[in-house]
Amino acid sequence: MRQQISRLSIVFGVLLLALVLARHFLIPKSFGKIGHYRAAAVDAIAARKIKYAGHQACASCHEEIVKLHDDRRHRNVACEVCHGPAAAHVEAPTEIRLPAPKQRGYCPLCHGYDPSRPTGFPQIDPVSHNPLKPCITCHNPHAPETPHTPEECSACHGEIARTKAVSHHALLPCTGCHETQKQHKITPQLSRPSKPASRAFCGQCHGVDASSPKEIPRVDLATHGERYVCWQCHYPHFPELK
Amino acid sequence: MDPQLQPLMDVLQQVKGYIYPNEIELQWGLLVVVYPYVTGLVAGAFILASLERVFNVREVQPTYRLSLLTALAFLIVAPLPLLAHLGHPGRAFEIFLTPNLNSAMAMFGFIYAWYLMVVLLLEIWFDYRKDLIQWAAGETGLRRFLHRALTLGATDLSERSLSFDRGAGKLITLIGIPSAFLLHGYVGFIFGSVKANPWWSSVLIPIVFLFSAIVSGIALILLLFLFSSLVRGKDVDMACADKLASFLLYALIVDFSLEMLDFIHRLYEAEESIKILSQMISSRLFLSLVVLQVLVGTVLPMLSLFLVSPAFRSRGLLAAPAELRRLVYFSAAVLIQIGIFSTRWNVVIGGQLFSKSLRGLTVYKMELLGIEGFFMSALLLLLPFLILYLLVVLLPPWPDREARVADG
Ligand code: HEC
Ligand code: HEC
Ligand code: HEC
Ligand code: HEC
Ligand code: HEC
Ligand code: HEC
Ligand code: HEC
Ligand code: HEC
Repeated sequence: MRQQISRLSIVFGVLLLALVLARHFLIPKSFGKIGHYRAAAVDAIAARKIKYAGHQACASCHEEIVKLHDDRRHRNVACEVCHGPAAAHVEAPTEIRLPAPKQRGYCPLCHGYDPSRPTGFPQIDPVSHNPLKPCITCHNPHAPETPHTPEECSACHGEIARTKAVSHHALLPCTGCHETQKQHKITPQLSRPSKPASRAFCGQCHGVDASSPKEIPRVDLATHGERYVCWQCHYPHFPELK
Repeated sequence: MDPQLQPLMDVLQQVKGYIYPNEIELQWGLLVVVYPYVTGLVAGAFILASLERVFNVREVQPTYRLSLLTALAFLIVAPLPLLAHLGHPGRAFEIFLTPNLNSAMAMFGFIYAWYLMVVLLLEIWFDYRKDLIQWAAGETGLRRFLHRALTLGATDLSERSLSFDRGAGKLITLIGIPSAFLLHGYVGFIFGSVKANPWWSSVLIPIVFLFSAIVSGIALILLLFLFSSLVRGKDVDMACADKLASFLLYALIVDFSLEMLDFIHRLYEAEESIKILSQMISSRLFLSLVVLQVLVGTVLPMLSLFLVSPAFRSRGLLAAPAELRRLVYFSAAVLIQIGIFSTRWNVVIGGQLFSKSLRGLTVYKMELLGIEGFFMSALLLLLPFLILYLLVVLLPPWPDREARVADG
């Protein structure tokens, strides 16, 4: 064999051996049993101390609160979201006491105004909404309610209201385009307002022969964007000329 | 306000439009820009060396060994930005022990090892073996010891043995070219395969990466070649410099055409992302893309090389004296480095500046100190030059003996 080959073989042989040895000694024994990871990691994680007790655990001692809470609109917000991990409290209720978020800063984490939240999610502007007083003076955290039914659509549809307020449609009331039952403001999911459904609806004001005030711009419905409904091109809460 | 929130507030004030909360801060910062830049230099330098070997381009022979050593120096540094970025460098070796065949990133570890061990080191070893033996014979002390150790004891200098060296070197080069393509093509592949990101997701990206790698590699060797001639007080071999400059120009033209193709393709496709991307280019990336990458880093060097280098005729369009040509080559190569670095910046940083909602832009705030900061990146860009210096001291790459040229 050539001298070069034999010498290089030694070098690569040593490296290969090192790899085999490293694999033998360094790969954890349980690697790959279940998937591409150390199976023993599952036990290691399972052995960690449990911190959360879960919603049901509270019921045996705080029956009334749980019942109340599960019946109201915070039913999907678990107790430990507000009170923190409670496993230790369940074990030793009198020694380990849980904090409760009584300050104003906490609730706006979920309820502060943010346009990315879904339509109708209860949102307020923490700066201007009944300032200074803690939220829980007016809203029971376990049974959140509005002290009285909101009057304005903007209480829940903040973004739409704010957008419309600076648009050409600012002067049109929401209810002019959406027939809204009173019940919608109390259980919005159960009573949906109507939405305009046809081109003719916008035509009441914008059609060439509409009997609306003269300053409203007119289009000929027969030829203007005839294959689409108007709001495929104009956002009704902020109509612009694109 | 909480002082810890201050940096976040600074960034938030520059965020434009609508953006998801997890997109405000960039996860891949400057280090991830440095990484493709460095691997690009490796691949480029190596491909230049291969040109000489496989296609027998005599003129660039003086840079053959320099290219190999440069590729090695940069290859050694290439994984460091990633290790610094990920933290836990102590775990890096695990990808070799428990290879995950489904992960492109994990497979890169093997491409890297293959390229380092089987391609670069072997090619250098076969090329230097004869010299190592001869050097060791005339030396004393540490140098003698190192040179002898590097021969691995293979001290046969017979003609058969030497011709085996040449044959082996050639074979490795042949394997090396696709390997170098793989090394850098992989980096482009990683970006190109992120299908949720319209700025990255393109099959052209690996190819664009490759050609920009070749451009940056040749430009680097040209710089080092001119610089080393200066330091060693030798006359610059103008035949070599001219040839390098011509290659640089060809590569630059192909690279620029590919980039334009990608650009026009995107414009013509006009997918829903086009609006936000054009907003990004005209605001956040204006300096780094339009000015640095395209104008300063590509068009300007291309024009100047076109004018003075003898790329298409026996001499350039303007008959420039050697002195002036050197100056033009040098500045073009520097500009190209700036341009290619901007290219990497625009890909890596640009791809994270716009929201996946396609409705907003964020900003990148570079750290100065810290493991992902500016100084760390600067250090990682200087380190290869230090390594190269040591390599050059140990393994002088200068082709001063006519013998080499003759038996090439
Ligand atoms: C084993 C019975 C028990 C269980 C289970 C239990 N608690 Fe309690 N909890 C108590 C008792 C008793 C107190 C009153 C402690 C006191 O006043 O010293 C209390 C007090 C509290 C307080 C008021 C602390 C204060 O300082 O005013 C909160 C909040 C609370 N529990 C939350 C929870 C939550 C949430 C759960 C479910 C994860 C839960 N508890 C489960 C027994 C229990
Ligand atoms: C939206 C946040 C929130 C959720 C969810 C919540 N709590 Fe509370 N809880 C509070 C606040 C705030 C107080 C303090 C009320 C006060 O001091 O008037 C409180 C007080 C309490 C108290 C002290 C007794 C009292 O009525 O003052 C108990 C016990 C308690 N909560 C248990 C629960 C249990 C059990 C659940 C889950 C079924 C739960 N909480 C879910 C916010 C919450
Ligand atoms: C983890 C998020 C979260 C936190 C924290 C939270 N809430 Fe809520 N809140 C909700 C959800 C979810 C609803 C129900 C929305 C729905 O039904 O569409 C809701 C509903 C409400 C409502 C509307 C009730 C109605 O009838 O219109 C009020 C008022 C309210 N919360 C007040 C509070 C107050 C006060 C706090 C602080 C103690 C608080 N919330 C903390 C998630 C949260
Ligand atoms: C002074 C009493 C008061 C205080 C304090 C108060 N609210 Fe209200 N909140 C109301 C009233 C009244 C309404 C009914 C809507 C309206 O007319 O604004 C309401 C409405 C709301 C709504 C909208 C309900 C819906 O169905 O969409 C939310 C959410 C809400 N409040 C959250 C909070 C939060 C969070 C805080 C603390 C930062 C807070 N409130 C403090 C009285 C109060
Ligand atoms: C108590 C909060 C609240 C108030 C006040 C409120 N809404 Fe709503 N609204 C909602 C919620 C929540 C939804 C989303 C219902 C769903 O998606 O299931 C909704 C949905 C709607 C929809 C869409 C219905 C659909 O089918 O898509 C319209 C239109 C609407 N509201 C109009 C109004 C108008 C107009 C007013 C004022 C007269 C108003 N709302 C006041 C909470 C409210
Ligand atoms: C010029 C008529 C007009 C006015 C005024 C108007 N809307 Fe609408 N709104 C529409 C139309 C049309 C749609 C349906 C759009 C669609 O289906 O895409 C709609 C859809 C909606 C929706 C459901 C879709 C969404 O964006 O979430 C809500 C909620 C809503 N409107 C609330 C309001 C509120 C609140 C106001 C008053 C602040 C208001 N609208 C005023 C025409 C109007
Ligand atoms: C009750 C009458 C009324 C109805 C119904 C109505 N609009 Fe309007 N619209 C107006 C008024 C008033 C203006 C503002 C004219 C002005 O700027 O002086 C306007 C302006 C506009 C403009 C022009 C905005 C601009 O930039 O000049 C558009 C577009 C428009 N509306 C679209 C619609 C669409 C789409 C609908 C159906 C969803 C609709 N409108 C329904 C009264 C109406
Ligand atoms: C295919 C898209 C499209 C559709 C559908 C469409 N529009 Fe338009 N609309 C436009 C464009 C674009 C403009 C601005 C250019 C122009 O003046 O033609 C415009 C302009 C307008 C204007 C302003 C005209 C002026 O003289 O200032 C009004 C009012 C209007 N549209 C109402 C409507 C109404 C009402 C409908 C539904 C019956 C509707 N549009 C459907 C695209 C559309």
